[in-house]
Amino acid sequence: MTRHWLGLPIATLACSLAIAGADTSRIDWNAAYPEKTAVLGLHGDAGRGAEAFVICQGCHRVGALGRADGSYPRLAGQHASVLIKQLTDVRSGRRTNPKMLPFADHQVISVQEIADIAAYLQALPVPATQGQGAGNDLARGARLYQADCAVCHGTRGEGNVDKFYPRVSGQHFRYLLRENRLIRDNQRRNANPEMIGVIKNYTDDDIAAVADFMSRLPVEMVKQVP
Amino acid sequence: MGYANIILSLTCKRARAAFLLAPFILLPVSLLAADAQDTVTTICATCHGADGNSTDPVNPKLAGMGQEYLLRQLNAFASGKRRDEIMSAIIASIDSNDFPKLAAYYGPKQPSPGKVQNQQLAAKGRPLYEDGNTDSGVPACAGCHQSDGRGNARFPRLAGQHQAYTVKQLNDYKSGRRATDPLMTTVGKRLTADEIKAVAEYIAGL
Repeated sequence: MTRHWLGLPIATLACSLAIAGADTSRIDWNAAYPEKTAVLGLHGDAGRGAEAFVICQGCHRVGALGRADGSYPRLAGQHASVLIKQLTDVRSGRRTNPKMLPFADHQVISVQEIADIAAYLQALPVPATQGQGAGNDLARGARLYQADCAVCHGTRGEGNVDKFYPRVSGQHFRYLLRENRLIRDNQRRNANPEMIGVIKNYTDDDIAAVADFMSRLPVEMVKQVP
Repeated sequence: MGYANIILSLTCKRARAAFLLAPFILLPVSLLAADAQDTVTTICATCHGADGNSTDPVNPKLAGMGQEYLLRQLNAFASGKRRDEIMSAIIASIDSNDFPKLAAYYGPKQPSPGKVQNQQLAAKGRPLYEDGNTDSGVPACAGCHQSDGRGNARFPRLAGQHQAYTVKQLNDYKSGRRATDPLMTTVGKRLTADEIKAVAEYIAGL
């Protein structure tokens, strides 16, 4: 986590500006702002992160495995860059999450603790115990995923640490379902506009199929060398 | 030692608070103790017990609480950040240099087990304690206070605590009367009155 993250996607910035007309409250999905930049520049300590994570585990559970009902996502094994972006986005209001907001407050988690927590979480094991969908439309899910999702999230759902694309393998079906709907419906403010454009015409059945497919991707990760 | 004897002869009922407080406020500082043991005997033990296991359920058991937590609360009472009709008055009569000694005295004491009075209610409290309420965004108590309720340096021990005390604290967080921890303020506001009673009952049995 000592790399520089400032060379963030100019192309996606241009893209977000082009789409901005649709929703004036939309923000540049991955803008560099002081706190996020600061956390990304810190060295995270996984040991300290394990201690700081205690206040998160009341919801995200021990081992950060989340809940199969989708109420709280798995965080274990997620890229540190993604975790940092999402946490700082939540507490700066870029991602609307009233349930989590008080627990991500500056009085509760320091800038250094965000880096520490991210370092802790990214290295946690990801058991193949995540909640899955009904499994009755997997051919459609596979087709959509390969056509639309794999280019960013990877053929194995591994995401991309440098581009802040989340890992989706090992995630709970019901969480994937909910967030994909929110993104499609323009209700997740910090979503990548490229993704909104890709799935905006997805039906609920399309989203369920692709979320189901994602929830069945292998959890073993190929080590990413940044 | 006349005051101490009077105080020790009384149980700490809130109705007698005014009567109890008078001597603390009037007592000369020199009598109030050169060391923490005197302070424990003459002041704290009256309500919290010499062994930190209070018998009156409105007064918290201190035995087994983390010393850091106890010290933080003493400082919070002293600064006015935490208020209680009795503690806020009593704290003014204690030398703040004694706070760490008091925390070090009570923290390591052996906590006595609590008593569940309503098994049905405790059974309702258990899932809340272990899993929280995902609809209202109440985190599991166990996340910070641990499954067995023993707490740690940052988060207080809950196990075996008197129901009445736990209920009052959660209600005080809910109302904003106690504002020592923004996390618990959020938790208190999200808990219903029934959930507070149930989880306090479960905690008593831990």
